[in-house]
Amino acid sequence: MAQFALVIDLNTCVGCHACATNCKEWNTQAAFGPLSDFDPYGKEPHGVWYNRIMTYETGEFPNTQVFHLPKSCLHCQDAPCVPVCPTGASYKREQDGIVLVNYDDCIGCKLCSWSCPYGCREFDEADKVMKKCTLCIDRIYDETLPPEHRKPACVLTCPAKARFFGDIEDPNSEVYKVIKERNGFVLFPDMGTNPANHYLPRTETKVHIDEHILKPDNPLFLEVVQKHYKGG
Amino acid sequence: MHPPFSLIWFFLTAGTSIGLFTFTYLAELLSLFGFDTSLPRNMVVFSVVFSLILVGLGAVGASFHLGHKMRAWKAIKRFHTSWLSREAVFSGAYGFTLLLYGLSYYFGLNAFFIHLFGITTLILGWLSAFSTAMIYASNRFVLEWNTSLTVLYYLNMYLMLGSSAFLATTYHYKPQLVKPFILLTLFFVILGLSFRIAFNIRQFFLKRPTLNEALNLPHNRPIRVLDTGTTTNNYCTEEFYYAKGKEMLSFVIPTFYVVTFLVPIALLSYSLISGNLSYGFYALTYASLVIGSAIERWSFFVEGNHVQNLFYGLYPKEGYTLRKGYMERRKTKISL
Repeated sequence: MAQFALVIDLNTCVGCHACATNCKEWNTQAAFGPLSDFDPYGKEPHGVWYNRIMTYETGEFPNTQVFHLPKSCLHCQDAPCVPVCPTGASYKREQDGIVLVNYDDCIGCKLCSWSCPYGCREFDEADKVMKKCTLCIDRIYDETLPPEHRKPACVLTCPAKARFFGDIEDPNSEVYKVIKERNGFVLFPDMGTNPANHYLPRTETKVHIDEHILKPDNPLFLEVVQKHYKGG
Repeated sequence: MHPPFSLIWFFLTAGTSIGLFTFTYLAELLSLFGFDTSLPRNMVVFSVVFSLILVGLGAVGASFHLGHKMRAWKAIKRFHTSWLSREAVFSGAYGFTLLLYGLSYYFGLNAFFIHLFGITTLILGWLSAFSTAMIYASNRFVLEWNTSLTVLYYLNMYLMLGSSAFLATTYHYKPQLVKPFILLTLFFVILGLSFRIAFNIRQFFLKRPTLNEALNLPHNRPIRVLDTGTTTNNYCTEEFYYAKGKEMLSFVIPTFYVVTFLVPIALLSYSLISGNLSYGFYALTYASLVIGSAIERWSFFVEGNHVQNLFYGLYPKEGYTLRKGYMERRKTKISL
């Protein structure tokens, strides 16, 4: 069975918030909008976002690393938010595994957000219903769009190309391959939610230069030195 | 967790309603078996009407918690998976059968039907109470709530409220039951005290997840939150972490222990030992239990820590620390 999901490369994510911004821009005017804002230009701006970017620091000084974690609904395969919904407004689609909220049935009891260990559901105080990432379902099935644009808004906009979208159950898909090849991992694996969205771990990149290249009799020596010491 | 006042209102009204009806009906039921517990007609009518009004007010109050009140009826649709749906169904059915019981009693219907409605109401009322408690106890992402103690305390709270309300009522209608109900209320209050102490002590021994587990990182990697992506609070930081409440907990917890448990125990013990069976003691006991339970339920919400707070660095500190070359698990720190 298909399971659409996002795969986010933490190695290349630069934390620019473009995915969150474009998500907000698309979804606030699309089928699952609006994403209401309150006091947007005041002292206490707040509103609904499907996607938020957290920044963490690991290691101890001076050996620290900063990484950014874009977090939207993980479209869990055993989504705990679905069975607790008293009206059935929260549901998981069988054909593609996307978890959605039917705004016409949502009574705004907030119980689904209490049952999400990732904090990926947000209550819209203006519409009085629960809102969450839809994986841009109104884009990915829109046949009026060119095929290369039938992707979530966050994936299309990412300037670092850190986001991938596809069916993680399909061995021929790009996302399936990157998860396998680069040890994709999930958040909170112990919670029994089996999230569909994966993250690719950070890897250290090192330049290895063989010793013989650095010998003065190497005809390429000058070129290597110039390349590595350019500007200083 | 942020405490919704509409739910606290529902707990108190439904608690008194179901508890009071339970003791009223049980007294009536026991009289069938030859016990001298038959209640005067006026008292049964008063108890049923009072219970009906309370459960009605509770349902109206609880709907203020919902975003769309007019769609509340849709909450019956997922009975097979959702405890909230079960609560809605059982509470509604409880109110309806309570009305039938009241009408059949008032108009002196056949005793069989009166008791049929009575037993049905009793069962539905307790199923409703159990479903409400399970909404919290079944949430595995708020570890403080995820225990059978949540259910035990909650059901016992209904018994505390019900027996004390019955005590204050029976004083006027059937004084012979005052002494047994002083003992019964004392028993439930002491039981409640022990459940609540166990609930609080348990929090110190919880094996809490860490940010490393949330982010699927090795345990020995130090990690800290640098930025949560927004300059102000958002839904997640307000709904799952009530900062003002957390600051007040050190004051609120001792307060509700005194008001919910110690004051009623003192009043009832004094009345029992001194033989001073004055109405003021029982009215005060009930009032103290209602006010105390309201504060206790508020605290119950604020004490709950949702695991999503880990992503925001708002979860109680626990984790691993490197000491003398080996990894040691840090102890949970809870501010009381």
